[in-house]
Amino acid sequence: MTSATLRRTTAITAGLAATALLLAACGNGNGGSDATGTAGAGGDSLTIGTTDKITTIDPAGSYDNGSFAVMNQVYPFLLNTPYGSPDVEPDIAVSAEFTSPTEYTVKLKPGLKFANGHALTSSDVKFTFDRQLTILANGADGGNGPASLLYNLESTDAPDDTTVVFHLKSENDQVFPQNLSSPAGPIVDEEVFAADALTPDDEIVAAKPFAGPYTITSYTLNELVSYEANPEYQGLYGAPKSKTVTVQYFADSSNLKLSVQQGEVDVAFRSLSATDIDDLRGDDNVKVVDGPGGEIRYIVFNFDTQPFGATTADADASKALAVRQAVADLIDRTAIADQVYKGTYTPLYSYVPAGLTGATESLKGLYGDGKGGPDAGKAKAALADAGVSTPVTLNLQYSNDHYGPSSADEYALIKDQLESSGLFTVNLQTTEWTQYSKDRTTDVYPVYQLGWFPDYSDADNYLTPFFLEENFLGNHYVNQDVNDLILKQATTTDAGERTALIEKIQDTVAADLSTVPYLQGAQVAVVGKDVQGAQDTLDASFKFRYGALSKG
Amino acid sequence: MTITQDLAVDAVTPEPDDAPSGRRRRAGGGLGRYLLVRFLLIFPTVLILVTVVFVLMRATGDPITAALGGRLPADQLATRIHAAGYDRPLLTQYLEFLSGIARGDFGTTISDHRPVTQVLVTYGTATLELALYALLVAFLVGIPLGRIAAARRDKAPDAALRVSAILAYATPVFFAGMILKLVFAVWLPILPVAGRATTRSTLEMKTQGANTGIYLVDAISTGNWAIVGDVLQHAVLPSLALGLLTAGVFLRLVRTNMIGTLQTGYVEAARSRGVSERRLVRTHAWRPALVPIITVIGLQIAMLLGGAVLTETTFEWKGLGFQLVQYLLARDFVAVQGMVALLAVIVAVTNFVVDVIAALVDPRIRY
Repeated sequence: MTSATLRRTTAITAGLAATALLLAACGNGNGGSDATGTAGAGGDSLTIGTTDKITTIDPAGSYDNGSFAVMNQVYPFLLNTPYGSPDVEPDIAVSAEFTSPTEYTVKLKPGLKFANGHALTSSDVKFTFDRQLTILANGADGGNGPASLLYNLESTDAPDDTTVVFHLKSENDQVFPQNLSSPAGPIVDEEVFAADALTPDDEIVAAKPFAGPYTITSYTLNELVSYEANPEYQGLYGAPKSKTVTVQYFADSSNLKLSVQQGEVDVAFRSLSATDIDDLRGDDNVKVVDGPGGEIRYIVFNFDTQPFGATTADADASKALAVRQAVADLIDRTAIADQVYKGTYTPLYSYVPAGLTGATESLKGLYGDGKGGPDAGKAKAALADAGVSTPVTLNLQYSNDHYGPSSADEYALIKDQLESSGLFTVNLQTTEWTQYSKDRTTDVYPVYQLGWFPDYSDADNYLTPFFLEENFLGNHYVNQDVNDLILKQATTTDAGERTALIEKIQDTVAADLSTVPYLQGAQVAVVGKDVQGAQDTLDASFKFRYGALSKG
Repeated sequence: MTITQDLAVDAVTPEPDDAPSGRRRRAGGGLGRYLLVRFLLIFPTVLILVTVVFVLMRATGDPITAALGGRLPADQLATRIHAAGYDRPLLTQYLEFLSGIARGDFGTTISDHRPVTQVLVTYGTATLELALYALLVAFLVGIPLGRIAAARRDKAPDAALRVSAILAYATPVFFAGMILKLVFAVWLPILPVAGRATTRSTLEMKTQGANTGIYLVDAISTGNWAIVGDVLQHAVLPSLALGLLTAGVFLRLVRTNMIGTLQTGYVEAARSRGVSERRLVRTHAWRPALVPIITVIGLQIAMLLGGAVLTETTFEWKGLGFQLVQYLLARDFVAVQGMVALLAVIVAVTNFVVDVIAALVDPRIRY
């Protein structure tokens, strides 16, 4: 090869490399900025990044955070939670009340409309709830729908255009109003949605059956959803502060983190890793906003198969209780929250998490050092008093794929906390979720990890599913007093009296230790310096409402 | 991977004395017969591939249980399994699967209720665009550098380029992607972290009805050069991550072939007749050295599709590879089965096309 040819080849190669770099430099120095020359959305618009996943935006077909986040923006609810409160109020309704023990009557605001111009009447409301129950019954939701929340709904009537009467199976159900603000509660347009099957997302978006704060103007599943303020919205929250909102869906939280750092998205909400959030707290370009979270983590004891459980060879109820007490004495919640989750979870000493009406830290005084810390001496005494030989072998299970990548660290730390006392020998085991969810209800696991994210922001959602005799844990815990108290609180109309009952339930269960709650998740949003309003929507309703956010 | 690539290089490297004869040696049939046989071979190849996919997918049970097991009561699960026909004999299901593929029907995804063909069309264009960018990088980087390495054989530039080539195709593509992101998106930062365009550009393209799925085409059709620039910026890092993998192969291939060709008898003869070294390289060594690249492209397409799964995931390039991972995580085996079957078809058809082109342009191909 001649030197001239070589030089030319080299020059071409160098030129190509230079072109690539020039291309990069042709941007404004920030690869994340938008192509039209303005960073982020600007003005009346806002860009939100999330790692949520949408299953479907048909309210009868999904029961997950990602789908519900969309529904909260575009569908109206009869009742909803105002900013800063966990308790529900009329949203597109003017009133909602029990008109008899088994009748809950809602009066709609007059002149309601969907964004497509269709009138929103009581007929749509009846259609909505009838449809939920039909789809639950025929299985068209594929098991993904939320209609199981409407377990107490017998039927719905629409006597006139603005009146809806819900006929309930059991009397004075105080949880039912909360269910109307839950994933089972979005009101849909009967002229758009199929009565007995799911309606495809594309058809929904095209038909604009929206009467919430926003409408959807562009929709690409799990990629990009664009919202525009809905002028027809007459609900609780008023006009949104940002006229347009675009939500970008990320698969990888590290990409979401970099995007909010670079200003490509204005808000990052759900779910940055604990390490990323910790890192972003030191970044001057963004603000980290914390709010109470509804997610809890807890350890479940199977009362049949735990050490000294009812079906074990050495069954002994008092020894079994002592084992549970010793575990509760030894768990160092603060260490788990700080070391594993960098403060994105907080220690939990109650069954109803902090922020909700009725939350009381029943376990704090009963176990450990009485101030929230562990106490090995107390654990040793509990076991010795019951005549339990130590170390006790504990087969402890956790899921390696359902509660995030930190579960392994979390349970390694718990194992260490239990074993360092010398009182336990922990066999730590892990199983992938599909198998785990089958095994845990068939008495395979004596002690195991679970988490819970609420369906609605009421204390009942942390009690009924767990501690009634027929509960979803299936851990054979039965306490008739607790049963009676749970049923009573669910029908007690006096708020103060109901709160007292909820506290009493927690105190009773804390003594029995069906489960040991230990962490409460915080809601965390990372926003640009010029974004306001995140604090307003990060409340105990656990609904992230885009209408509260503004920029500039 | 290194061994495979070296074998690939060796397989297409001409022997020093294997000079083009200028006339094809026919071994029982003409070009038409050769192409027909190659074309017909696509069908058993695809059949074997989709059968393997079907068997592997179904070895773990039925797709409904895989996706919804543990979330549905047993009776509802059984109802859905029956409704979907997964309780029928496996042979019946297999024949129906094949029949569906023949009609272009790959089923409906379980996790988001979309026809798999719609998923394939929607995301296939993104993968096609990335594969084309990556091939472009491979050509633009691998071929010129291979030529330089051959010209400077056994000197420092050659050694450096050979080491670079080995590094390029030995480095896992996701690792290369992370390093590129770290340098160009985090440390500097001059390039975007992820995605195919900013949200503003994406919305602008949608608003203007540009929806071919190939963003560069869509961006150009808007007439907004800022959007074109934005789309190209987003393409730089994924294209480099994926393209450098193949560029390393091309570099070594071109180098080896050029060196081999420069040692052949006809080149020596030309040299002895006083043909200039520049002309020898340009006319006699350079073009023959490129022919094996055509053959290797067939192999590289499969590698690019495999690499696209990792590259798309690393850069959130929402193509087939990215979606494949999402559906795997959702245990949506209907979607996975359809996507893998399509990828198998693409690889088989691409190899046929490459065989055809190679037969037409390479005089050493016997048919």
